[in-house]
Amino acid sequence: MVNAIKGLFISCDIPMGQFIINYNASLPASHRFIIHILDNTHMFVQPNVADMIRNAMSEFRDQNSYEKPT
Amino acid sequence: MGHGDKGRSSKRPKFGKEDYKKAHFEEEDAYHFEEFDDDDRNGDKEGGKRDFSKLELKPDHTNRPLWACSDGRIFLETFSPLYKQAYDFLIAIAEPVCRPESMHEYNLTPHSLYAAVSVGLETDTIIAVLSKLSKAKLPKEMIDFIYASTSNYGKVKLVLKKNRYLVESPFPEVLQKLLRDEVIGRARIIHEDSHGNGEFTISKTAGELGNRHEGLLNEAEAAAAAEERETHSFEIDPAQVENVKQRCLPNALNYPMLEEYDFRNDTINPDLDMELKPQAQPRPYQEKSLSKMFGNGRARSGIIVLPCGAGKSLVGVSAASRIRKSCLCLATNAVSVDQWAFQFKLWSTIRDDQICRFTSDSKERFRGNAGVVVTTYNMVAFGGKRSEESEKIIEEIRNREWGLLLMDEVHVVPAHMFRKVISLTKSHCKLGLTATLVREDERITDLNFLIGPKLYEANWLDLVKGGFIANVQCAEVWCPMTKEFFAEYLKKENSKKKQALYVMNPNKFRACEFLIRFHEQQRGDKIIVFADNLFALTEYAMKLRKPMIYGATSHLERTKILEAFKTSRDVNTVFLSKVGDNSIDIPEANVIIQISSHAGSRRQEAQRLGRILRAKGKLQDRMAGGKEEYNAFFYSLVSTDTQEMYYSTKRQQFLIDQGYSFKVITSLPPADAGADLSYHRLDDQLALLGKVLNAGDDMVGLEQLEDDTDQIALDKARRMTGSMSAMSGANGMVYMEYSTGRKLAGQGQMKSKPKDPAKRHHLFKKRFA
Repeated sequence: MVNAIKGLFISCDIPMGQFIINYNASLPASHRFIIHILDNTHMFVQPNVADMIRNAMSEFRDQNSYEKPT
Repeated sequence: MGHGDKGRSSKRPKFGKEDYKKAHFEEEDAYHFEEFDDDDRNGDKEGGKRDFSKLELKPDHTNRPLWACSDGRIFLETFSPLYKQAYDFLIAIAEPVCRPESMHEYNLTPHSLYAAVSVGLETDTIIAVLSKLSKAKLPKEMIDFIYASTSNYGKVKLVLKKNRYLVESPFPEVLQKLLRDEVIGRARIIHEDSHGNGEFTISKTAGELGNRHEGLLNEAEAAAAAEERETHSFEIDPAQVENVKQRCLPNALNYPMLEEYDFRNDTINPDLDMELKPQAQPRPYQEKSLSKMFGNGRARSGIIVLPCGAGKSLVGVSAASRIRKSCLCLATNAVSVDQWAFQFKLWSTIRDDQICRFTSDSKERFRGNAGVVVTTYNMVAFGGKRSEESEKIIEEIRNREWGLLLMDEVHVVPAHMFRKVISLTKSHCKLGLTATLVREDERITDLNFLIGPKLYEANWLDLVKGGFIANVQCAEVWCPMTKEFFAEYLKKENSKKKQALYVMNPNKFRACEFLIRFHEQQRGDKIIVFADNLFALTEYAMKLRKPMIYGATSHLERTKILEAFKTSRDVNTVFLSKVGDNSIDIPEANVIIQISSHAGSRRQEAQRLGRILRAKGKLQDRMAGGKEEYNAFFYSLVSTDTQEMYYSTKRQQFLIDQGYSFKVITSLPPADAGADLSYHRLDDQLALLGKVLNAGDDMVGLEQLEDDTDQIALDKARRMTGSMSAMSGANGMVYMEYSTGRKLAGQGQMKSKPKDPAKRHHLFKKRFA
């Protein structure tokens, strides 16, 4: 019997893959969104989390980038 | 546009996603202006841009090189035929903000105008020249600002005469006003023979001679400046000099003092017989900086800013041999003391017995009544108990009246130490030398009253074009984190180890190894690798089998390693911790690889670049259009997606402001060179990861040097071992033994706990029975 799950296919580079996995692990069990980690750069997640991941990622990137004060 | 484009065309500005906007900021500004040049349509086209459409263009504006804005900013076109003159003038009156290739930005500040006045420019001169050079009519705000901030400048001078500090001014009413201030009034020394409070000593001094901008001025103005003037003066307490100076700064009474030394007419202090050797030919910019210092036949106190490797020591030696009085030269550590002593002997005719070094290792005393003493800031400012011998030398330094106090690397010395040094030593004239007048802790402004205003600052790119310093290719190498390292980096419990994790990133290690191999084998270069993180430094150096120098390396070993690096063909790479940032002179090196750094320190980045700026090879090859486009390389290895990206961008700001651009390299090592580099296999990487994680938090942190205020790399560790108890090994040992003894005794009791007579050993049973 085939089980079909609707979801989102993410492809990213290796560090960001780790970031998403870490982010997933930091959430309480009920909010975790990763359905399956396919390999280092691909994973399958719940369909509704795209924006959430994007926000977390941009926040992380902002911390690591320097803006020259004017 | 402009000259020299050819030499730099392959440098792309930095192109990271997030910093795209910033890196292009200056250029956008430049474009903005050029469009504006054609028509007035774009006043407020982009939100947040200022509106300059009110500026009135002069009809012949294309011949004039600069734009002056009402907020004090000035933009200079470097491709203008008048660039050289305009640059010399602007550098005297304004602070350079950013100097890329075609467009420079300057800022008028009260401090910069103070510096302008102190080198002999007068308010009207400044405004006249500015309006002559400006494309548009000078904004009223700017004229007002110049008037407001300079009207009081240059009216008061601090002079050291016959070991007395005098406050001098041609305007008695100004002195009256100063004396009404509480601090200054208290500092005044009134002599018995003077006739009451209101009188000042009157003397005559020569006015300003040799105005260097007369080409741009009327003859009459220059002549008016050279009249003889009557001056009035009163004496102040030497101990209060600093307070008085501070009271006079723009934020208090607003009569900043100029310090001058009339060394030609100083008959009290004995002359020192030294001259520049004929082969010491100061370069044009060195001449220029000296002419600012000796503009009116007197010596002014101030700071001269030249990039590393541009010959600061020659400027220092020339200044000393022009003043020809006793000179106290202060350096940051013992190695650079040796270098300064060497430079003095190299460039001047000073005799060996007239120069002496005073460090913890070599305590030489000079004979005769005048000479040069080279020492470190620490030796002079050291507050603890000294040996009898050094106590004597210090006493001599304190009691002598120095003609020149020469201070190397003024930016590194914390303000409190400066104060101490300056209050301890009496000097007629102070000259500070530095390459980078930036500090993260904004203490730079202190230097304005501790030493004096900035007299001269060279433009790095002009020196590169002239072939005086090396043309450096700056590159930022992006090393992606490996999966395992990044996973650990993200974990909360590893927050203290973050730095160690991104520094030890195997991809970074491989990139470093690749670069070392490439430069050693393909180009035969000499390489310095910098790592602030001690754990990484040892790990890298051991793995690659290269010599390293860090804080605890002894003076002897350092000298040996550096000597081998300079002469031996087998030693082409040396690993340095941050002790190598300043002053260690390694002219042979032409490649720098930076694997870790002190957070976001712009100064450190510039200082490190300075290690390779000394020009090498033939002059004609180095000039624009010569054989070698780049002859030095500066690599900064950065682990992407980590905090290091933030720091790295911040650190580059200073160099970008000097006109350098960083090229980003993303694929190092190349995919086909992988197998023979270290950490190719996953289990090697994992072993390394384990090592990093198991190292204690104290191990993986930054190297903490003694006296590490703003990372001043001083050599105090060795002086610490000089304490008697440490030498004899008695430091706390008694206590240690006592405590271990007790601990053992306690354990012993534990073992003999069974007191029950029945369980006693049969040998003892008899005793208790």
